[in-house]
Amino acid sequence: MMIAEMVKDREGAEKRCLEAYEKAKQLQEKYNDVITFVDPTEQLKNLPEEGLMRGVPIALKDNVSTKGILTTAGSRILSNYVPVFDAKIVTKLKEAGAVVIAKASMDELAMGGTNKTCFTGASLNPWDTSRMTGGSSGGSAALVASGVVPMAIGSDTGDSVRKPASFCGIVGVKPTYGRISRYGIIPYSSSLDHVGYFTRSIKDACVALKVLAGRDDRDMTSSFREVPDYSALLNSDLHGRKIAVFGNVRDGLTNANTAKLFDDLMESLKAKGAEITVFRFDEALMKAMLPTYYLIANCEATSNHSNLDGIRFGVREPGDSMEEIMTNSRTKGFGPLIRKRFVIGSYGLFEENQERLFRKAQKVRRLIVQQLNECLKDADCLIAPASNDIAPLLNDDSRDQLSDEYLVVENHMVIGNFSGYPSMTVPMGFENGCPLGINLTCRAFDEETMFDIGRAIEEITGYENLTAEVK
Amino acid sequence: MEYDVTIGIEIHCELKTVTKMFSGAPCTFGRKANTCTNEIDLGHPGAMPCVNKDAVARAIEACTALHLTIDPLVKFDRKNYYYSDLPKGFQITQQFHPIGRNGYVVIDTAEGEKKIRINRIHMEEDTAKQFHLTTKTLLDYNRAGTPLIEIVSEPDMTSGEEAQKYVEALRQTLYYIGVSDVRMEEGSMRCDVNVSIKPKGSDVFGTKNEIKNLNSISNIGKAVDFEVERQKQILESGGKVEQETRRFDEKSGETVLMRRKEGNVDYKFFPEPNIFPIRLDANWIRSIQESMPELPDARKERYTRDYGLSEHDIGILIANKELSEFFEEVMKHTQNAKSACNWLLSDVSGWLNRNEKTIENCDLKPENLAKLIAMIDSGKISSKQAKELLNDLMEGKDPEAVAKEKGMEQVSDTGALEKMIEDVLDANPQAIADFAAGKDRAVGFLVGQVMKASRGKANPGLVNKMIGEALKKRI
Repeated sequence: MMIAEMVKDREGAEKRCLEAYEKAKQLQEKYNDVITFVDPTEQLKNLPEEGLMRGVPIALKDNVSTKGILTTAGSRILSNYVPVFDAKIVTKLKEAGAVVIAKASMDELAMGGTNKTCFTGASLNPWDTSRMTGGSSGGSAALVASGVVPMAIGSDTGDSVRKPASFCGIVGVKPTYGRISRYGIIPYSSSLDHVGYFTRSIKDACVALKVLAGRDDRDMTSSFREVPDYSALLNSDLHGRKIAVFGNVRDGLTNANTAKLFDDLMESLKAKGAEITVFRFDEALMKAMLPTYYLIANCEATSNHSNLDGIRFGVREPGDSMEEIMTNSRTKGFGPLIRKRFVIGSYGLFEENQERLFRKAQKVRRLIVQQLNECLKDADCLIAPASNDIAPLLNDDSRDQLSDEYLVVENHMVIGNFSGYPSMTVPMGFENGCPLGINLTCRAFDEETMFDIGRAIEEITGYENLTAEVK
Repeated sequence: MEYDVTIGIEIHCELKTVTKMFSGAPCTFGRKANTCTNEIDLGHPGAMPCVNKDAVARAIEACTALHLTIDPLVKFDRKNYYYSDLPKGFQITQQFHPIGRNGYVVIDTAEGEKKIRINRIHMEEDTAKQFHLTTKTLLDYNRAGTPLIEIVSEPDMTSGEEAQKYVEALRQTLYYIGVSDVRMEEGSMRCDVNVSIKPKGSDVFGTKNEIKNLNSISNIGKAVDFEVERQKQILESGGKVEQETRRFDEKSGETVLMRRKEGNVDYKFFPEPNIFPIRLDANWIRSIQESMPELPDARKERYTRDYGLSEHDIGILIANKELSEFFEEVMKHTQNAKSACNWLLSDVSGWLNRNEKTIENCDLKPENLAKLIAMIDSGKISSKQAKELLNDLMEGKDPEAVAKEKGMEQVSDTGALEKMIEDVLDANPQAIADFAAGKDRAVGFLVGQVMKASRGKANPGLVNKMIGEALKKRI
């Protein structure tokens, strides 16, 4: 059922939310998607009269602060942390009538692409439980893909919404930086972090963004721009639309099935009236993309997470002095991948390194964005497959290792975080019964165009309201 | 051997704002621990900073008063370090782009006026307060996030006295414009003093030592003097001054080692990603500057021009902002600035000290003090009588009414006085003879006799004058 239909069915609200809550619990053993279940009973008693998401069950990634409800960000150090305040988006969702039923699994502190680093264990892909959901918003993606909720919140710093959306066969939206308030989202890397979300259709994505977007005075980076009525503006007519294929990514595809799916889709878009061109980025910049991302993200992360010291909140390990308490809490509280990233981040920020590492990375980031601007001067949208392959197997340990291997096909979506421009993944096709997505990146605050083109793709593929076979 | 002394001072000053630098929690002093704080001050995950516009306005006022050039593009940076009083694990400060650069204050020295240059003023947030007990440490986050400005001087001072005068001048200016309470004893103004010495004329600077924990202006002078002497002795005995952070011990009057080589900490400064650069509107800056209160220097100039008071008196008067403002209120009702100033600096100040009150919280009314001065000037009461009225005056009573009540009216009726004087002269022929013999103090004796006869009510000035005339007639 679409969000709009649920809202119309006022009487069904309670039953629907309780069923979603029960279904999430039933599926937990299978998929391990949830860190904390949230009983909807109280929320149902306090539903607003009206609201764009009245009576719609939703899930939140567990880095979204919820007052009085455990919020762990998937990390052991926060495994006892109960926020004293709600994130801005939680307030907005509640005002719109949405009902939270679960806090979803995620990679520890949102740093990862596998959803295997959560302290409660990996979440499993509902299309094939031997595979990953992708991360870091894997729990949220799986809850939407398995039909538990029509919408779930995620966060996206590199591709943490868009990659799991691709692996789980759903829509994953990362709007423009500043479009949705980040207040109360446990951060990863402030200049790259975005609130994003998952739905099973573009129409639902339009509704959700209308609810989530808008200025928040507590997030100084949030935009004053008015929030358009995305649903009313949705128009899938492609005549006059210019779409630029991300040449470097297309060239880098090694999976013939993916290449064919993509090329066929381009043909279909052309047939619907779109003008398709190819844009190639400077190859050296493409090779620099991943190290640039890691440097900026890890440097900011090491600073952002300096507050996790066991002193005021979180798990405190014993020690003979304040310094020892802090050291012990941090050593035991974080997984090995996180510790590695903090070391790299710290190294990049040291005075003697900062110019040639962190600052240089920011310069490269600007150069990459400059090229993207060139591309979007002529084109309405940059398009590419979200990944070379379907979701990796759980025992594939190649992911998230900091390697010097050049993998533009797997890491190109970070361009949406470098630029802050709206970027979205929608289902493109299947391989071995597992889905694979296509990614669109548009101009700043032009979510409208992104939804229009996304809707056209949805009409071509017919992949609207896909739900994984729950066996 | 002679030495050149080099002193630079860093001052942290709490800004007087309703809320904190980056959060909506209230700024207070002396409240119950951890009641004036929120998720932002406590560094809870996901909380984000929001710049307090009022704090920026206060910083602009401080920069303007101290002649700094204001950077209209406000940027913040992170200073990263782990410490239990630092909730976020970093402090938001302005490392790379301070709000103000290149200012100065003028101090008076034995060699005349001296300009002490200010390198920069930047905005930042305060840390939590720690209380170290034997087995544990208590943390109070009420102070965490309080807006601060740090004022960094150039190393332009050369003695404890200059250092003291610099801080005093800064303190007075900041107090006048109302940006801070500047209470050193409460920590709303904190000084770190850097001292180094080198052989006279040498162009190689000596190793500097930083002195912390200076909770009064007089301690700054004492600490610097001690430190200079200590460093001299090290050098004279062939030793080397180590780079140290020292603390001033009030009891012994000495500086004591806290830690060595602090310069090696890498704070990994980088721009704060959650606050985009803020372009300040030129009109907004101007409106703040134009509505600023009068500065001490301007007031000094005005008093010299309008009231003709001595430099010394003006100095003392404006050192107390509230007293000088009261003075101006008194001057709305009288022309006698000298007398108004004297009364405020001596009798009124004395009374306030004795009664542990301040000019703002006592009942003295400006118009009543002016009235008292007029009564003295017109000869209605004597200065001595006026002093007897001080208590009533300070309690808010009308001096005219009280004088009447006490039967204090001075006898200035020449007819009545003439009669009294003739009687006294008749009764004291020896005094007349003394006067004739050139002994002037006979006059004083006779005046005293007349005052006695009038039971103190005679106008002494008038009596003095009339006795002189009467005596001349008799010899």
